[in-house]
Amino acid sequence: MIHTVSQGIITGILMGAIYALIALGLSIVFGIMNVTNFAHGDFVMLSMYLSYAVGSALAWDAVATPLITAPLLFIFGFITYYLLIDRTLRQMYVVQLAVTVGLQILLRSLALIVWQAQPRALQYSIIQGNIQIAGFEILTSRLISAIISLIFIAGLAYFLNKTWAGRAMRAASDDLDAASLMGVNYHKTYALTFAIGSSITALAGGLLMSFQQTDPVGGVRFGLLSWAVLALAGLGSLPGLIVAGIIVGVVESLTVSFFDPRSRLLGVYAIFILVLWLRPRGLFGRR
Amino acid sequence: MLEIKNLNSGYAKVSVLRNVTFHVNQDETVAIIGPNGAGKSTLLKTISGLVRAQSGDITFENNNILGLSPDLVVRRGLAYVPEGGRIFPNMTVLDNLLMGAYSNPGILKSGILEEIFTLFPILKNRSEKFARTLSGGERQMLAIGRGLVSRPKLIMLDEPSLGVAPKLIDEIYEKIHALKRFGLTVLLVEQNTGYALELADRGYVIENGQIVMEGAATDLSTSEHIKKFYLGL
Repeated sequence: MIHTVSQGIITGILMGAIYALIALGLSIVFGIMNVTNFAHGDFVMLSMYLSYAVGSALAWDAVATPLITAPLLFIFGFITYYLLIDRTLRQMYVVQLAVTVGLQILLRSLALIVWQAQPRALQYSIIQGNIQIAGFEILTSRLISAIISLIFIAGLAYFLNKTWAGRAMRAASDDLDAASLMGVNYHKTYALTFAIGSSITALAGGLLMSFQQTDPVGGVRFGLLSWAVLALAGLGSLPGLIVAGIIVGVVESLTVSFFDPRSRLLGVYAIFILVLWLRPRGLFGRR
Repeated sequence: MLEIKNLNSGYAKVSVLRNVTFHVNQDETVAIIGPNGAGKSTLLKTISGLVRAQSGDITFENNNILGLSPDLVVRRGLAYVPEGGRIFPNMTVLDNLLMGAYSNPGILKSGILEEIFTLFPILKNRSEKFARTLSGGERQMLAIGRGLVSRPKLIMLDEPSLGVAPKLIDEIYEKIHALKRFGLTVLLVEQNTGYALELADRGYVIENGQIVMEGAATDLSTSEHIKKFYLGL
């Protein structure tokens, strides 16, 4: 019993680090641009398919595929920003909602056309197998994915705090007019933010493909998980985002172990609603 | 240096400024005074590009800047310190100042931050603190400091006494006075008429979106209209 719980918690922590990474993409777009991207989960889905395509064409390990898919998603995010998002910024909120939900449906339909409804998974992995630590089994691919996620989050924190572009993003988040008075062109800053948010999903998609399969409707799960992590963390705290990702990962993993694998999101929704009810700003949020 | 001709501006269908014409010469300090809602802030926002003008001319150093977005206006050397300071609350004091150099990061090598810390020593002591923790007076100093980092040729100050404890207003105005030593041209908008006219070389009075009086600051402060309606004498 205790062993099962501990095993569930370990698996949950490793998944949680990736969830934190996925939520980071949503968080910077929402926190800096105040744009609610309902298609975020489907960006993850699209990324997973691209990882599948790159991985099977070049016989690469899934973990390496972001080297190609991340620049692709960066460009995709950049184009999506200028074609769609930029035009919704001065509109009513419902316009933005319609556009991002529409994008979600578009991506899902495209995935169905290109890859059909059957799930896809990558064959090869150099990092297969388990590590045994104190009687617990740890999937090597998950461990490596979790470590890469945490390193990337730390790297983005450095970027936001120490570079001119990162500082401009934080300034735009705090006060857009004041930022433009400092010389910030918000179209460029927002396009960069959205492109980074998109390329984060490419990294997450590659990591997920190292131990999961993908299907055209899988984006819903990642979208909802990201919102749960974000609601739990609140805006503006990256360590908070990691902790929230891990809580969500652990709750999901324990629900699977003790309740029913088909209702894996049930426990996540329960805390999501509980947090919205008790602490609408999240556990670590300042806004 | 800055010339405004027949400027009409406002929001959506509401016209705020009507045929405003005035100018600021190099090295001059000009005050624009007037009651709440007269259009003072709208005027500065229009010059800085935050509000789009409906018609008229705005030229800065003989270049037309009407219709430029704010990030391009500041690159011309025209800084705007908005009403209430509008500092970045969730950034440190130092990061706020660094944002002032965003349009020209190379300026930091000129020792501008040291100059600003000399002018506002309090900012140096607080440099690692989040700006949201500052008092009203400190926020205003940070906003002015941030506006100075890019070494603008002209700085526009919007109600620098607003939200500042009365005993600190004197201090803020001493600092603005010191800006003249920076070789700065200052355009000041202020409800606090006494302070503004004491500091300025020339002044304009704006009422209902129109310039109704202009002249040397000393003349304005002795005019019956100003005494009666603005200075309460």
